[in-house]
Amino acid sequence: MSRLLLLLLTCSTTLLVFGLWIPLKAVVAQELLELAWAESQARQAETRPWPWADTWPVARLTVPELGDSMIVLAGGHGESLAFGPGQVLGADGSQGPVIIAGHRDTHFDQLQYLKTGSELRLQDRAGGWRHYRVQATRIVDSRSERIDTRALADDALILVTCYPFDGMDTRGPLRYVVEARAEMPLNRNQLEPMDTVAGI
Amino acid sequence: MMLSTGLLKLTPTQADSQRRRARRFAEGVSLWLAVLLMLFVHPLYAEADQRQSDSVGVLHFVDAAGRWQEPAIVLDSEFDIEVSGLLAETTLSRRFRNTSDAWREGVFVFPLPEKASVYGLTMTVGERTIVGEAQPKAEARKTYEKARSAGQSAANVEQHRPNLFTARVANIPPGETISVELQYQQPVDYRSGEFELRVPTTLMPRYMPGQPAAGQPREWHGGWALPSTQVPDADAISPFTVQANDVGATSHRADIRMTIDAGLPLARVISPSHPLQTRLDGQTVQVQSEQVLMDRDFVMRWQPLAGREPTAAVFHQRWQDDDYLLTMIVPGVNEAQVLPRDLVFVIDTSGSMAGESIRQARSALQQGLATLTPDDRFNVIRFNNQTHALFMQPEAATGNNLARARRYVANLQADGGTEMAPALERALTIPASASEKAGERVRQVVFITDGAVGNEAALFAQIRQQLGSQRLFTVGIGSAPNLHFMREAARWGRGLYTAIQDPADVSGPLQRLFAAMEAPVLTNVRVQWPGQSGKVESFPARTGDLFRGEPLVQVVRGTAPSGVLKVSGQLPGGRRWKQSLDLQQAAPGHGLNRLWARQKIDHLLDSARLVGGEPNKARVTELAVEHTLMSPYTSFVAVDESPARPSGATADTEHLPTLLPAGSQAGMLRYPQTATLAPLFTALGVIGLMFALAIGLLQRRATV
Repeated sequence: MSRLLLLLLTCSTTLLVFGLWIPLKAVVAQELLELAWAESQARQAETRPWPWADTWPVARLTVPELGDSMIVLAGGHGESLAFGPGQVLGADGSQGPVIIAGHRDTHFDQLQYLKTGSELRLQDRAGGWRHYRVQATRIVDSRSERIDTRALADDALILVTCYPFDGMDTRGPLRYVVEARAEMPLNRNQLEPMDTVAGI
Repeated sequence: MMLSTGLLKLTPTQADSQRRRARRFAEGVSLWLAVLLMLFVHPLYAEADQRQSDSVGVLHFVDAAGRWQEPAIVLDSEFDIEVSGLLAETTLSRRFRNTSDAWREGVFVFPLPEKASVYGLTMTVGERTIVGEAQPKAEARKTYEKARSAGQSAANVEQHRPNLFTARVANIPPGETISVELQYQQPVDYRSGEFELRVPTTLMPRYMPGQPAAGQPREWHGGWALPSTQVPDADAISPFTVQANDVGATSHRADIRMTIDAGLPLARVISPSHPLQTRLDGQTVQVQSEQVLMDRDFVMRWQPLAGREPTAAVFHQRWQDDDYLLTMIVPGVNEAQVLPRDLVFVIDTSGSMAGESIRQARSALQQGLATLTPDDRFNVIRFNNQTHALFMQPEAATGNNLARARRYVANLQADGGTEMAPALERALTIPASASEKAGERVRQVVFITDGAVGNEAALFAQIRQQLGSQRLFTVGIGSAPNLHFMREAARWGRGLYTAIQDPADVSGPLQRLFAAMEAPVLTNVRVQWPGQSGKVESFPARTGDLFRGEPLVQVVRGTAPSGVLKVSGQLPGGRRWKQSLDLQQAAPGHGLNRLWARQKIDHLLDSARLVGGEPNKARVTELAVEHTLMSPYTSFVAVDESPARPSGATADTEHLPTLLPAGSQAGMLRYPQTATLAPLFTALGVIGLMFALAIGLLQRRATV
């Protein structure tokens, strides 16, 4: 009887540790990513947070209202989503819509508090900030709807996470989508450091 | 709980009782904790429980508030195909099974063969069978909508493109099935000694060029696309696509039964697309394929015994005091004069080609390059949103250039939109330097695409205007190519078309196409029917040039099966070729009047397109209603007169998705998977620990 009890205890503890490990990893990784982001901004090059990583920081996303700031990684695959939100669409420095996906249990659980009119800020590698306003939040069924990337405006930012927020199902079809639009077009020249022209 | 608070009031007397008291205290505290934990975990647990009760794979839809709606309509189909001679008649029954407990309307966008003439609709509700009728489109829609709001069961089938239709079924009772039976016929293709029949079951999501049309609500309707300036009905022809495992295990399946009576002994019957059960019974062959996923075209091919290939055939039918004849003549001429060519390959590298399609397209193009001789000149043009050519102008097919082209082709990737018009223009424009020796060279364009575009008509007009003396050949790629585009583009381009079914099938059809492309064997074809010429109406009105292995097929009204049909044409060397056919040997046929009417309607639409005007709508409607046919201006409607839905109940509309063609990748971005196992693990861990703690404490208590 006590052996069975011990077994149950061990299994439960293991599960709990694994369960807590995922958010812990997400928090710890963000610290490492901060370093990599600083380095990639300084060197203006892709910098991997650790040598064996298959992703790299591409942007910083902040939500001033919630005091949240996180580093966005390249790619929407599981490898990058484990450590931070992943940029599914949009390349560094290029115009065009940006789509960022994140785990609802770690970084993007804050999305549920965003409302129409909330402010979002996105910083690119060159250091320029872009301000967005949330236009709408909606819930979609990922089996019957796709993201039509052609129909998106060039200044759109879309955040995607799983829904419902306290759900247990990891393969559920529902997604929570936050649609935001840039407040004013980014003026890149204004952000250009002065010393690049000093040499002429 | 009462126990633990009561225990606290006990006064301690001994060290032993003190220890016991401490233990009881701990027990009480942990029980309280357990209750609290239960309260905390319960919502999560309840949620998980609710999810598990949903049967896996049933299609769900979500309303604006994100709540789950009831399971959707389950759809299955049955194709019953009967081939006799050169025509195939099909009864297609689609069963819409409403698995929810509310009334439903089902909307389903589906393809049919591009030459299909739809001539019948019956709806079966329970025991009752209602025969539908052909009505002008707007009238049919009104009839249907009236029945829908009156609570009657009704079915309506409309044509959007010659090969794209929408079925609407109103007021499907909860838990019941309404089956809609569609009757259509299609001509069988005969080329190079092989018959072929294609039955499309799904469609490739099409690219809709142009800007979103003004004044449209931003909301999605039935489809994923919004009406655009170039494709005003984009939302009606863009059903959502789903993967096969997103629909129920019994939904989107088809049973296919086929009886082939070719009228001659067959050597073999094969399908490159599906596994078959074949039963040979004299000259007729029974073919069966059950519960196949509707994610690719069903292709059947049959070959007559060697030496028994038909060289000519006549069928006759008398319908409403008119004689209809269908003839096929195989010239059987194989001599061709090979001229040096300027060959331009155009390859579609748009997003819809991603996956298996682009691999097929690359290998088709590599095969095309292999047919070039050193005298030929060639170029490769690829397009998606943008057009890019390998060479500025066609270059000689030297080893060096060919190697460059092979590398270029091997590196092609598929993404982006399908802007076909600029690519066509680039391919069909003859550079000034190349036109000097135009007389000695044959200019040909090979267009490799899946035809997933919504603006076909505009492209055909462009082909007609820019073609000049060139020829355009089309190669259809993928498991559900838009064959209407392939066939019509090749027809306006005075060329041939072919379709590749799967990777193993690439070489056969392509080799035949490239062999036939070397030169047309018969030009200037003239057909002379007996009888007074004024009354005889034959289609196609102008016979195009014939290529190797291609038969001449004509359908005619107003001539009795007597006398001799004379056909003549010009051989490559300039000599005349003549053949005559005795019409008295005509075999009885049926459905010829519908074939003739469909061709006549096509002819009316074509001639309107040629002059750039509006087609004669009244004449087309009149023809369609006379022959009970579906057309761009007529549709079918069937209404069950007895009202079914109680006036209080409402019926929601559900747009059924189609399956994504096999081997293709979703053109649009899928939402990524964004949930972790963390909450599940944490909840399970906490529950487990709680149980362990409770059991441990109980055990302690029992032993003490």
